[in-house]
Amino acid sequence: MSNAQAPVSRQSLMDMFVAGARRGWNVATNNMVPNVIMAFVLIQALNVTGLLEIVGKAFGPVMALWGLPGEAAAALIASFLSMGGGVGVTASLYTAGKLSGPDVTVLMPAIFLMGALLQFMGRCLGTAGVDSRHYPVIIGVCIANALLSMWVMRLILILF
Amino acid sequence: MKQDKPAAKQQVSWVGYAALFFALIFFSGIFSDAENWTRVLDFTVLQGSFGIIGETGKAIFRGTGGTGARDGFMFALSLMPSVILALGVVSVIEGLGGLVAAERLLSPFLRPLLGVPGVSGLALIASFQSTDAGAGMTKALYEAGDLTDEERTVFGAFQVSGAAPITNYFSSGAGLFQFLSVPIIIPFVVMLVFKVLGANVIRLYIKTVAKKKAVA
Repeated sequence: MSNAQAPVSRQSLMDMFVAGARRGWNVATNNMVPNVIMAFVLIQALNVTGLLEIVGKAFGPVMALWGLPGEAAAALIASFLSMGGGVGVTASLYTAGKLSGPDVTVLMPAIFLMGALLQFMGRCLGTAGVDSRHYPVIIGVCIANALLSMWVMRLILILF
Repeated sequence: MKQDKPAAKQQVSWVGYAALFFALIFFSGIFSDAENWTRVLDFTVLQGSFGIIGETGKAIFRGTGGTGARDGFMFALSLMPSVILALGVVSVIEGLGGLVAAERLLSPFLRPLLGVPGVSGLALIASFQSTDAGAGMTKALYEAGDLTDEERTVFGAFQVSGAAPITNYFSSGAGLFQFLSVPIIIPFVVMLVFKVLGANVIRLYIKTVAKKKAVA
């Protein structure tokens, strides 16, 4: 209603954009670039040692449940540790030709739904003061969320 | 919670609702294939494309066939514009009151959807942007007596799965936008749906299993 009470700041649209873009630059340089490099080095190391192939074979039957190659398991495991790591591993697997566009699409919500749980147990549940008795169940639900979301994404892909 | 109460009563102008609506359109990809000026309303259109080097007709500055840290660096460079643009736009939407508008629209549905009171709307929107802010405000709500311990557990479970979705999806996630074969907003919506579903599983668990254990 009245502009005086609205949360609209006095900044111009351009100022707002630039402030956000600056935050984006900081996230990209401090967070994304190091995470992507970490993931590329990890995948390179796994590739050179032949471990990636083993991971791919070992997880192949499980990931096939979602129509994904076994290597996709590496993306999910990485995302459990950090969202940026999950995104990085997914990106490097894509560029290595191990994951297709639809595969990335299927993985996308899962990377975040089970993302960085190790860290967020303390940062989110701990800070909010959630009873730690419930942690295992909550973590289980987060992982179930991620696994189920991959099937939903597969279904949605049929529409596109 | 005291300092948060006045904010909860802020008026939302039509600008806020318009900004929220714009955000949904912008990341939905509805206008990505439009042939006329309406293309301007799309993230991928404003993101544009990198120029082509040489006459191969394909390779951008990243080149092809690279590996390891060097290839990772060049690749990360190519993702940076998406992250910067996405957070710039999110900042404009936030500045115009789009998130407060979302809070206003969501508040009446919090009780049926998550079993938490409407007053948690602000904490919910905060948790969309920052894990720490959301968790801190949730603790404050509990301490002010606005949430019971059980409601706090459900609300915490809602927040932790897909934590800070706006910030994480539109920053880290922006790096993967170009590989998606569906509109950008769809995985985001799927994420939100599962956040609510998961929280309700915990709600059910608390009502049944956890309660029984406490009695026994």
